[in-house]
Amino acid sequence: MGYVVAGYVIVLSILFLYGVQLVWRRRRLTRAVERLEPSATPGDRLGGRGTAPGTRRETGPGVGPAGSR
Amino acid sequence: MRVVGITAAVATAATVWLALWVTPPDVTQGNLVRLVYLHPGVAWVALYLAFGLAAGASLLYLWPRTRSLFWDRLAAAAVEVGVVFNVCTLVSGSIWGRPTWGVWWAWDARLTSTAVLLVLFLGYLALRRVPAEPEARARRSAFVCLFAAVDVPIVHFSVLWWRTLHQGATVLNPDLTPTIHGSMAWTLLLGFVALTLVFVWMLIVRYRIGALEDRLGTGELDMALRQRRAEGAPEDEDEAA
Repeated sequence: MGYVVAGYVIVLSILFLYGVQLVWRRRRLTRAVERLEPSATPGDRLGGRGTAPGTRRETGPGVGPAGSR
Repeated sequence: MRVVGITAAVATAATVWLALWVTPPDVTQGNLVRLVYLHPGVAWVALYLAFGLAAGASLLYLWPRTRSLFWDRLAAAAVEVGVVFNVCTLVSGSIWGRPTWGVWWAWDARLTSTAVLLVLFLGYLALRRVPAEPEARARRSAFVCLFAAVDVPIVHFSVLWWRTLHQGATVLNPDLTPTIHGSMAWTLLLGFVALTLVFVWMLIVRYRIGALEDRLGTGELDMALRQRRAEGAPEDEDEAA
């Protein structure tokens, strides 16, 4: 029975750790994308849809609010 | 997605409970038969679901009418999850083989072809990390995936084509007449369903990671371009003045 228990523990641990790692990676990337695109709508965050041209607020360095120059 | 994850966790827990506490020991294998509720399930996911899906998605990417980076991302996700399940297949098989055959590993046709499959798809994942344009990476990855997938039928039929230590198929045999019955068969079936649900959940999460990575790459490129434009802007204004 020792081999059986070892088999279940090892295989389920591998799957569990991989699952945890996937969730951690997804959260880290979601935060990174939100930092990069702060104006992205929630539905636009995970689906991989592109933002329509002209709808994204420019927030990069050197780009001020409209009419500031 | 959360529903799939919770269902997968409950089904896996139920499989473990049935496998370790409810089903009877086998007449010849004794308690070692309990590993059979796990090993074929992970092998099913790795070989047929993950690598089969990856091959199908690669084919759809290469087909001009259906060419889309969606298929490339799906293939990459399926291969990564499939590699994890392939490792689980080899580990669980090795743990079963030690008390049954007396060795952890044998250069048997089924075992060797499964190990070769793992190496081939590790190569696929390594190739994807080579920097390239998304389309170029997708095209060459698709070719490599189809090449690697040729090993899947070799693994499946290895027990029929060669004399091997590994036993023949219990369910997917040539006659499609399962050689397992009663609570053992139901537990085996539940194991297949549970591990399939685990695969589906992992595939969805891994696909979203791929989409986020692509988006992050594009976003970083946009930001770099904006920075370059911003750096050039004052000089332009000076020149205009």
